[in-house]
Amino acid sequence: MTTAPTPRPARRASNVLPMLAVALVAVLIYWPLMLWANAGQAARSLASGADLGCGTALQCATQLRNPVIPAPGQFASGFQSLSVPPLAATSAPYNALVTGGETLLGLALASLLGLILATLLVRSRSFERATLPWLVASQTVPIVALAPMLAVLLGQFGVQGFFPKAVIAAYIAFFPVAIGMVQGLRSPDPLQLDLMRTYRASPAQTFGLLQIPASLPYLFTSLKVAATAALVGSIVAEISTISFSGLGKMLAENSRASDTVALWVIMIYGAALGIVLVALIGLLERLVTRWRPSA
Amino acid sequence: MTQVVLPPSSPTLMTPPIVSVRDLGMVFPVPGGQTVALQDANLQIMPGEFISLIGPSGCGKTTLLRLMADLITPTSGELTVNGGTPRSARENRAYGYVFQAPALMEWRNVLSNVRLPLEVMNAPRDGRDSRAREMLKLVGLEKFERSYPWQLSGGMQQRVSIARALAFDPAILLMDEPFGALDEITRENLNLELLRLWRETGKTVVFVTHSISEAVFLSTRVVVMTARPGKIEGIVNIDLPQPRSDDSREDPRFFEYATQIRELLRKGHS
Repeated sequence: MTTAPTPRPARRASNVLPMLAVALVAVLIYWPLMLWANAGQAARSLASGADLGCGTALQCATQLRNPVIPAPGQFASGFQSLSVPPLAATSAPYNALVTGGETLLGLALASLLGLILATLLVRSRSFERATLPWLVASQTVPIVALAPMLAVLLGQFGVQGFFPKAVIAAYIAFFPVAIGMVQGLRSPDPLQLDLMRTYRASPAQTFGLLQIPASLPYLFTSLKVAATAALVGSIVAEISTISFSGLGKMLAENSRASDTVALWVIMIYGAALGIVLVALIGLLERLVTRWRPSA
Repeated sequence: MTQVVLPPSSPTLMTPPIVSVRDLGMVFPVPGGQTVALQDANLQIMPGEFISLIGPSGCGKTTLLRLMADLITPTSGELTVNGGTPRSARENRAYGYVFQAPALMEWRNVLSNVRLPLEVMNAPRDGRDSRAREMLKLVGLEKFERSYPWQLSGGMQQRVSIARALAFDPAILLMDEPFGALDEITRENLNLELLRLWRETGKTVVFVTHSISEAVFLSTRVVVMTARPGKIEGIVNIDLPQPRSDDSREDPRFFEYATQIRELLRKGHS
């Protein structure tokens, strides 16, 4: 072979290897941790004379009905029962899609609101002084308290189900977006602003041709931060309001039923959803900011 | 009226100056007082001249250029640009400004950067790209129209910014140390290119520099400025034959002018 290897596969390998190493460490820790976490409960059950069909506490640790940490076999059957068929109303994939949709709509609303707020904050010092403390205060209200209230409020206008959760996700996500966009709108070089002035550009032209494109990298950075927070927001909203679908609704149901295996499976679905959302935003970023060197 | 073609360095009453500076002053407030950035500046620039402003940091050369561009407003004196106030010159897009840094929009490719002023000025849509390509050809970058700024060297970026300043065909080119950040070899190449542009377009150029040899090589007149307070110490006519080439640097008069400028700079320093 005479052709030199392209740098791409090499870079990919260097990304995958550390990930695999972390996964290996997680598996190595998982086994003793799982046995240790469940052994106490197994010992207590054995002591109470229950017939678990196993001899020692250590053997029983993998067979509890509601384990603290499920054994691999329990995980497998839990995943199976919650994932097949994937689009049934009781399936985790379907409910993850609902929660993901709420979060994405929430992020879209948050981007719009964040952009409007950031524009006003950058334009007017007095607006900043008047509103910034309130914006900060808005983020200190616990979402568990706010969510039912918002659901009732929106319910009075006939808005139910999907949309209130998106609003709550947006409520959490708009803040990092607004702060990031303020920084982004202020990021143009003074020389670039002078340049627009020498062209007699209108404020709207300077905004659209300079400030907005300059702020896009900031927008995507804040959206990645906002995405995980918004996901937590929509799940909490689903738990704390009347919901008929969503990962939060599944969590609430299974926690009432003390089905720990299902809770673990749903948690893992939630984590995967978070990773997918951040990856989606990263993809969008690469599409929108194509000009940047390290795509 | 008949137009009389005159050597640019001999202003007469027949052709009005394109830039007229009279007793111009600029004072900036600073904590606990004020800084006199420019004091009693007087200068007449004729159409088609290549004027360099040279001096140490703080001599007010950039201030004078920014005053001409209406990026700042003078605190005293009179200034006309292109027959009116600096503001009307800016609003009529009478000048193109080239900054110390290229100040390109990193999200636009080279062609789109050169097209930017035409977009802002609402030039006819179908003529924009051809005009931008024409300007890129003028600075020798027609093969790079699809490149993004980060893919270009510093010298190429600055050439893009010159093409951008010329895109809307302003009468005056204001240049604020455009080659200051570049290496000597690139700088000398760009100097030759700038002179060619100046000859081909017939624009009036006001060029800020702190390199004596660059000022002598490029200019028809060199305005020597000194600091604290910023003022014009003297004006040197550079009577080297046009068009200039690398041979001009070997001309004995080249060294005489350089010495003359150096002495003026030293006079202001003592």
